[in-house]
Amino acid sequence: MSDFEPDILTFCCNWCSYAGADLAGVSRLQYPTNSRVIRVMCSSRVEPIHILEALKEGTDGILVTGCHIGDCHYIEGNIHTDERMKEIVDALEHLGLRDRLHLEWVSAAEGKKFQETITDFVEKIRALGPNPLKNNKKEE
Amino acid sequence: MTTPRSNIYQTNVYRKSSDDIWNCLTCGLCYDGCPQGVDYPEFVKEEREGKQQGDLVHKGVFTLLSDLMADLKESKTNLAESGNNDSKIGYYPGCLDFHDMFFDLDVDFKSIADSSMKLLEKMDMSAKMLQLKCCGHDQLWQGDTETFEKLKEQNTKLIKESGIETLVTSCAECYRTLSMDYDLPCEVVHISQLLKNADLGIDSNTDVTCHDACRLGRHMGEYDAPREALSSAGATVTEMAHSKNESWCCGVSTMMSCNDRSKALRKARLDEAKDTEAKVLITSCPKCLAHLNCMKTEQESVENYEFDIKDLTVFLAEQLGGK
Repeated sequence: MSDFEPDILTFCCNWCSYAGADLAGVSRLQYPTNSRVIRVMCSSRVEPIHILEALKEGTDGILVTGCHIGDCHYIEGNIHTDERMKEIVDALEHLGLRDRLHLEWVSAAEGKKFQETITDFVEKIRALGPNPLKNNKKEE
Repeated sequence: MTTPRSNIYQTNVYRKSSDDIWNCLTCGLCYDGCPQGVDYPEFVKEEREGKQQGDLVHKGVFTLLSDLMADLKESKTNLAESGNNDSKIGYYPGCLDFHDMFFDLDVDFKSIADSSMKLLEKMDMSAKMLQLKCCGHDQLWQGDTETFEKLKEQNTKLIKESGIETLVTSCAECYRTLSMDYDLPCEVVHISQLLKNADLGIDSNTDVTCHDACRLGRHMGEYDAPREALSSAGATVTEMAHSKNESWCCGVSTMMSCNDRSKALRKARLDEAKDTEAKVLITSCPKCLAHLNCMKTEQESVENYEFDIKDLTVFLAEQLGGK
């Protein structure tokens, strides 16, 4: 499937990863344009329902990024994120969508890491193929 | 909020639909007391069909999960594959493994499946663990018949392929849905109905009280099986102030309306259980188990509920111990 361009949803926390994405931008680092960024105040704002809903609507991959553990602006927000992501991974495993979610810690200084994360994830999803739920929609 | 009577009247005479259809817990307490035998839950079910859902608990994450399951071919509610694969008896765990997925409830739901398998084995009825999808109970009662039909179709196909003759479930909701809303070629039984005649060889000597799940009790008319299963295992059953057909609902049977009103109901139910001075509160539905336990944890700082809340199968399997 050469013409498949994955739709990626990236959740960035306001304090670290979003700034990291900014840094990647001002440093003119090149990365694929498949991802759409949603800024949240903290990565722990991302709920299981957001991820499931996104998958239901046909998103091919979801990337959740936040501050490194210990660096959270809200002290322990990302610890909650970590716990929560483990739970949602369980759920996705049952659905057979395990590989479509990825959690990464990106700090404000890591523009390069942001670029690499997005590039790697897009390539991974590209190899994986489209979200099966997207196909269902088209068939209908 | 209006009464069931005025709700039916408004709908049938004036074709007015009110939000009240979403307030109903569909527990069936009303039709049990109705001299005319009006089946209000069934009316509510039909009224809800295709409408915008009311207030789903946990923002509808469980509903969404089952929705996705209906659309994804390879997804299953898969607990570890176990059991006797050539058996004519199939055990359906339902959505047990999803209940505690997103929360820190101090309940091991998967142990219900393990206990059920263990008990079935003990009764010389070693079963095959069926790898099915969600039964679709919540979808049906939330008015999403489209998803329900999808799940029904896929599950029916899988059950037919498995070639079983008896389908055992440990969940009151699955039992109701599979026997009343599905059209299956095999017999569907709730595990308590098998346990009531079984001689497990245990003498537990514990004071227990029994919470009737609305799906097993009023919907299916099975009040005695869990009690007989308990008393044949040597436990003393003390009834709560409201029991059997008058039993109060846990309030969240369709994963809807977990609000101040249904919380008050659960609190009152726990108080009743406390009054019986029983050591264990037994339920036969994982949803009652989840929601009563949730309430118990929530009340920990103000109320001291000394009893445990357990599923029937877990309770019996624990007594069985290493036997």
